[in-house]
Amino acid sequence: MSETGERARRGPGSPADDADREVLERIADGQLDALEELYDRYRTMAYSIALRITNDGALAEDVVQDAFVGAWRNAARYVEGRGSVKTWLLSIVHHRAVDALRRRRPTSELPEREDVTPPALTLPDVWPEVAGRLLRLEILSALRTLSDVQREAIELAYFGGLTQQEIARQTGTPLGTVKSRMRLGLLAMRRALLGAGADAGEGEPTLWADR
Amino acid sequence: MTMSCDTARDLAPAFALGALEPAEERAVRDHLATCGQPHPEFEAFGGIVPYFDETVELVEPPASLKGRVLAAVAAEPRPRARRTARAGEAPSGGLATGTAAVPAVPIAAPAAPVVPLPGGEAREDRTRRRSGAATWLLRIAAVLAIAGLAGWNLLLQAQLGSATAYDRAVAAVLEVAARQGSQTAILSGDGGRGPRGIAAVGSDGSVVLAMRELDPTVGSQVYEAWLIAPHGGPVPLGGFQVGSDGTASFATRATAAKGVIIALTREPAPDATTPTLPIVSKGVATAPSS
Repeated sequence: MSETGERARRGPGSPADDADREVLERIADGQLDALEELYDRYRTMAYSIALRITNDGALAEDVVQDAFVGAWRNAARYVEGRGSVKTWLLSIVHHRAVDALRRRRPTSELPEREDVTPPALTLPDVWPEVAGRLLRLEILSALRTLSDVQREAIELAYFGGLTQQEIARQTGTPLGTVKSRMRLGLLAMRRALLGAGADAGEGEPTLWADR
Repeated sequence: MTMSCDTARDLAPAFALGALEPAEERAVRDHLATCGQPHPEFEAFGGIVPYFDETVELVEPPASLKGRVLAAVAAEPRPRARRTARAGEAPSGGLATGTAAVPAVPIAAPAAPVVPLPGGEAREDRTRRRSGAATWLLRIAAVLAIAGLAGWNLLLQAQLGSATAYDRAVAAVLEVAARQGSQTAILSGDGGRGPRGIAAVGSDGSVVLAMRELDPTVGSQVYEAWLIAPHGGPVPLGGFQVGSDGTASFATRATAAKGVIIALTREPAPDATTPTLPIVSKGVATAPSS
């Protein structure tokens, strides 16, 4: 299967995601060929994310290997309501890559991460229907609506593996400003993505948007 | 110290981005697990973050990585048993479902066996004051405990030896799999269950196989490995016997076409020329995707 072509179309609730869940059920049942299938589907994205974070090909390979072993061990712990199988798998890759990166920093304390299902990566309300249809170009376009400093804060956190305190120190910016940039950047991203999928007719939640 | 809802909301963006210090992250998780108030901001911010993954430049991994990943997984025990369903989650028969934003309970490591050991001085003093019969009982118990420890030690050593042998076999497969032009096969029984393992077929004709969870052979029985070409009959590769640990490694030389099936059967005696059905375990040899 062409992973590139499937890249952004595997939205939660899509037929492709149903197929992923079937594969994951087989993995949870101990079927090695299912793990191979999952690898074939997502190897490129998994490796690309690991490489983006670690900037080291050999380390990225270790991360991908570690992540798929983690998926094998914990397939039964996947929680359907918290996002697609793809999101679940790639979040494992992301966390393992960040952990690998932080291990290189002797002063960093590693979080306890036996739990490979990050609670934050959830897809609530109408978001799946909207976001699941988005293509890569629309996502990149949404990213460009962020200001440079917002994008920098988010990239240092998400791909650089830095904590908000470390970002503040590294960029010489007050912590409160870093927090604000992250919040506003994420809100801008969501607004732009919802705009790209506006046919869902959903407005932006206001409960927390103006905080 | 208990975190307030306002503090949790303030930390939500960094939490979603994984940018909290570990102590802060733990405090947020604890808050979400116990707070009765809704926290939609965590779900909302968390829902945005995965889309950053779509912005990375795509880079194809080296072809050899697949063999590494599959070998590493093949060396693993079967996946953990499904956890007991928690409130809001599916029963154990299927994948869990749920919408809670709180983290799943971490899986505890298997508890180490607890072997009673002799106590300290105070316990020893009390023991000396006991009656002769009690002393004898204690001595017998001590002997049994020592015997138990020795047995446990032997069992652990056997398990360790078995795991080490299998790891070595997987490493040998991996070595061949990593070579240019090699094919790799994941072997399993019907429906992906039963005896499983990994095999590599090198372009130089070397064939190596690592298997686990095989039933032990008895008497003259052997497991015979076969190459089955897409349009040809089964070609015997040779046989091997399996002990009580259920693991096996096997190496031979053969010429294998692309897409060949590697299969194992259980034969009553060595040198079988036709396979005795059923096939115990099989897999299709494929070259790593480029």
